[in-house]
Amino acid sequence: MTTTTLYLERTSALHRLNPVTKLVALLSIILAVFAVPHWWIPIGIVVVVIVPAAVLGRVGGRLLRLFLILLLPLLVVLFIIQGLFYPDGSTVLWEWGLAQLTTEGLLFALTIGSRLTALVLGSLVFVLTTDPARLMSALTQVGMSPKIAYVISASLQIIPAFQARAQSILLAQQARGLAIVGSPLKRARALLPLLGPLILGMITDVDERSTAMEARAFGATPKPTSLIVVPDPLGERIARWVLFLSAIAVVVLVVVGVIA
Amino acid sequence: MSSTTPAAVDPNRTRNRIFVALGAAVIVATYLYLILAQPTELAEGGLGTSALIALAGYLIGAALIAVGAIHRLPTATLSLIPIAIVINIAVGQLAATLGLPVYLDSIGTVLVGVLAGPAAGAVTGALTNVIWGLTIGPIALPFAVTAVVIGVLAGYAARLGMFRRFYLAPVAGFVTGIVAALVSAPIAAFIFGGATSGGTGALVAAFQAFGNSLLASTTLQGLLSDPLDKTITFTVVVLILFALPGRLRSRFPFVRQYNVFGKVTPVAPAEPAAPKA
Repeated sequence: MTTTTLYLERTSALHRLNPVTKLVALLSIILAVFAVPHWWIPIGIVVVVIVPAAVLGRVGGRLLRLFLILLLPLLVVLFIIQGLFYPDGSTVLWEWGLAQLTTEGLLFALTIGSRLTALVLGSLVFVLTTDPARLMSALTQVGMSPKIAYVISASLQIIPAFQARAQSILLAQQARGLAIVGSPLKRARALLPLLGPLILGMITDVDERSTAMEARAFGATPKPTSLIVVPDPLGERIARWVLFLSAIAVVVLVVVGVIA
Repeated sequence: MSSTTPAAVDPNRTRNRIFVALGAAVIVATYLYLILAQPTELAEGGLGTSALIALAGYLIGAALIAVGAIHRLPTATLSLIPIAIVINIAVGQLAATLGLPVYLDSIGTVLVGVLAGPAAGAVTGALTNVIWGLTIGPIALPFAVTAVVIGVLAGYAARLGMFRRFYLAPVAGFVTGIVAALVSAPIAAFIFGGATSGGTGALVAAFQAFGNSLLASTTLQGLLSDPLDKTITFTVVVLILFALPGRLRSRFPFVRQYNVFGKVTPVAPAEPAAPKA
């Protein structure tokens, strides 16, 4: 599972935390960041909470690389669109044809961009430091359906097998003269001879898999015993509630109008 | 949505129904609030609470539908879903690396919706985005609700008989694309500021330059790309399914119950086993 997901196996305090605690912390941060209408709050949370957490979890380097690949292009596009083409901008700083660089547009881009940064970087730190298997066990322990855990774990395990099968189908079809270079239309047409055998094979597998699962009484016990028991100390349970309730408090204060 | 044969004993049936109904209501309410309340808020020069409502409302709605729907799925359907999720992700990436101008990231979702019904399609859509977040990056996670809507609509299209003739499926895909574009426009606008990727961003900028609001611009951009993408997706799915041997297709109770492919398929495989396509 470790090769297909973003999870990095390290030993750190962040890795040892109960995944549910980390998930609640992430959701609380997202809730607060999207509620407060100031761009410096998300930036502050990124600098004070998310980046130190990544360093603590020893995933800082990978986080930076993912930031450059995933987020930076979006932020550049965002500032071009909203900085130059914001519809309600009135304070024009620079003008060129239809493009108007406005203060309002830049402020709008800054608000959206800072929130998006906090959302994506926070989720990345969570994903980088949380073993999916441990996450599923912990979530099942707090009441999530084992069926969801099954679907997610099975998907992650199928990915390598699927890639190997797709590769062998591709080679087999190329040996029969399938061209995968040329115009986009040609390449799109190459998709069908690849997908047909792939999906047919997968659906044939489904039958065997579900028979095997039913023979092992999958879904018969509402609360099955877990192989991995994730420790859930009292301190973390209290911390979860405190985090969640403070995030709700922030939202209420914004809606009521105390924070504006 | 009594689309899939429910388990014989299901003590939580009412609860699951309430979850699904509540989820659908939350999604509809979120969309209506965002399009009705938005003009006044944007005129005041800020985002207001629309970003928070778009994110929270859509995520809660999608999660409620997924949780309520997964309980009614039999084991055979559950073991189909991981495969569909991997198809979504693999083909989506393939389309991106081949440089195709469409996403093609919902082939598996539509496939499950057609073979196993709207509930299964909804679960596939929601969990695809979770897997996408765990493996590639959490950028697409706010769009989970769109995937749920696509799965549900594919299921209902199959129930209505849109997959009995190969030329009807693209029509269903086109309609699904329009709904998907409308639902995802507030996410693209209020969470991404129109910047979901370079190409779509340029379109949003162009629409804004001609005086449209942000939400109108992302809606127009979605209406340009989503119906085309879903038409192609539904066409690919119907071609694949028509190429499948009838014996495989009629294994799914949903296909038999609603006669999804038109031909009267025998409940017990009467024909001699033909293992190769």
